[in-house]
Amino acid sequence: MRIIIALGLAVIASVGLIAQQAPGIAKPSATPRTADGKPDLQGTWTNATITPLVRPQNQPNLVMSAAEAARMEKSTIDRRDERNQPSDPNRPAPPKGGDGSTGAAGNVGGYNNFWLDPGERIAVIDGQFRSSLIIDPPNGQVPAFTPEYRARQAARAKGIAARGQYDHPEYRPLAERCILSFGPTTPLVPNYFYNNNLQIVQTPEHVMILMEMVHDARVVRIGGTHLPKHIRPWMGDSIGHWEGDTLVVDTTNFPPQQNFRGSSENLHVVERFRRADARTINYRFTVNDPTTFTAPFTGEIPFNATDEMIYEYACHEGNYALSNVLSGARNEEKRLGTKQEK
Amino acid sequence: MRNTLAALLLLAGLMIAGRTVIAHHAFGAEFDPNAPIKLQGKVVRLEWVNPHTWIHVETIKDGKPEIWMVEGGTPNTLLRRGITRDTVAIGTEVVVDGYQTKDHSLKRANGRDVTFADGRKLFMGSSGTGAPKDGRDATEGGTKPAPKKPGGR
Repeated sequence: MRIIIALGLAVIASVGLIAQQAPGIAKPSATPRTADGKPDLQGTWTNATITPLVRPQNQPNLVMSAAEAARMEKSTIDRRDERNQPSDPNRPAPPKGGDGSTGAAGNVGGYNNFWLDPGERIAVIDGQFRSSLIIDPPNGQVPAFTPEYRARQAARAKGIAARGQYDHPEYRPLAERCILSFGPTTPLVPNYFYNNNLQIVQTPEHVMILMEMVHDARVVRIGGTHLPKHIRPWMGDSIGHWEGDTLVVDTTNFPPQQNFRGSSENLHVVERFRRADARTINYRFTVNDPTTFTAPFTGEIPFNATDEMIYEYACHEGNYALSNVLSGARNEEKRLGTKQEK
Repeated sequence: MRNTLAALLLLAGLMIAGRTVIAHHAFGAEFDPNAPIKLQGKVVRLEWVNPHTWIHVETIKDGKPEIWMVEGGTPNTLLRRGITRDTVAIGTEVVVDGYQTKDHSLKRANGRDVTFADGRKLFMGSSGTGAPKDGRDATEGGTKPAPKKPGGR
C-alpha cells in the first residue's frame, strides 16, 4: 500500500514538474531539449533535395507554388522510373568514340540509375517551396568571382599544364583519393547523387556532425577561439555558440585543397542550426571569401529526420578507380610516345 | 511553364544525363571512349565496397573463360533498400555494356548498363520499387524493407 502511495506521489510530482516547465516553451513537443536545456539537434538527418543550390534561369522567385513543386517532383519520379525500365538484352556495345555524355560521365557514361538516391522533393523551409537553396543575393545566384580568383585559376591551370594531372596520386582530386567527400564538407549542401545523410551528436562542449559522404566527422567545439592560422584540418576548424535556440557554427582554417565553388583557403562559413519542428532542422549557411566572391551569399536547406540507417562509406577499400586512372595515363603515354616510362 | 521547363532542364542536366551519372571521380579519366565493350556472362564475385561496387563477370572468349571487373556505384544506397551483395546470386547471367579502362592490360570496364539476361536492370528486378526517400514525409518512416542480411562477410 505504502509503495502504491509512493508511486502515486512520484507520478503527481513528475506531472507537476512537466506542468511547471511547460509555460516557458511555446510548443513543448516542437523543440526537444537535451539535459542542459539546449535544443536537441541529435539524430539522423537527410539534406537530399531536388532544389538546386543556384536558382535556375527564368525562375524569378525564391518561392514556388505547391502545384509547381508537385509537378517538378512528379517529373523527377517519372524520369527515374523511365530510366529504371528494362533495356534491350540484345543491345550492342556503346558507340566507339564515346556515348556523348558530358560532365564527369566524360563521354563514356557512368553507371545505372539504380545506384542513385538524389532525393525527389523540393526543399521546404517554413512551409515555402523553394526554387533555389541560395536565398541571398535575392536572385539566387552565386556572386561574381573576384579578379584575384581569376588570377589564381589561371596560375593553377598553368601549374597543371606544366606538371601534368596524372603523374602523382596527390595531383588527383581529394574525392578521387578518398580523402574527402565529392561534395563540400562545409557548408552542408547536398551532392544531388547519393548518401546525403548526416548524424548529429551533441554534448554541452561539442557537437559532432558525421556526414555519410565520405564518412567524415566534423567536431564543433562550443565556445573558445579558432586554431592558429597555420593549422588547417581537412574540414577546417569549427567553433560554435548558442544564440537563443539557434546553434551558430563558425568555420575557418580550411586547407588550400578544399574548396566550395572555387573558394580559397580564406573561406569563412557561418552555419545556423534551428529546430523548426519535431522532424526538421532549418539549416542556414553564409559563405564569405573576399578573395574569391565579390559578396557573401546565404542559403537555406531543410534537414529532414530520417529513419533510414547511415552506412559506413569507408572510401578506399575498393578504390581501383585511382590506380585505373594513373595506369590509364601510363598506357596512353606508351601508346602516344609522349613520355618515357619512369 | 517556361520556368518549369527551364528548371527541369537544369535539374536534369545537373543530376543525370540519360542514364549516365557522376561518381566520386571523372569517368573520362578512367575509361577509354574508343574501347566500347559488351559482355555477357555469369556473376562470379561481387565486391560490395566503397567508393565503387565491382561486379566480376566471367565471359567466354575463343572458348576460354575471361574475368571482367565492372564498376558500379556506392553500395550504401542499395543497402538502404535492403539489397545486399547476396541479392544477386553467384552464377546469375548478366549483360553489360560500357567502356574498358584506358589501361587495356586490365579487363575492367564501367557498368554503363548492367542488366539481367532478359534486359531487366540488375537490382531493379526483385523486391521494392527502389524509390529513395528524403525523409520529408514523416509517413515514409518504417516502410522500408528490412535488410536481408548485413553487408560484408
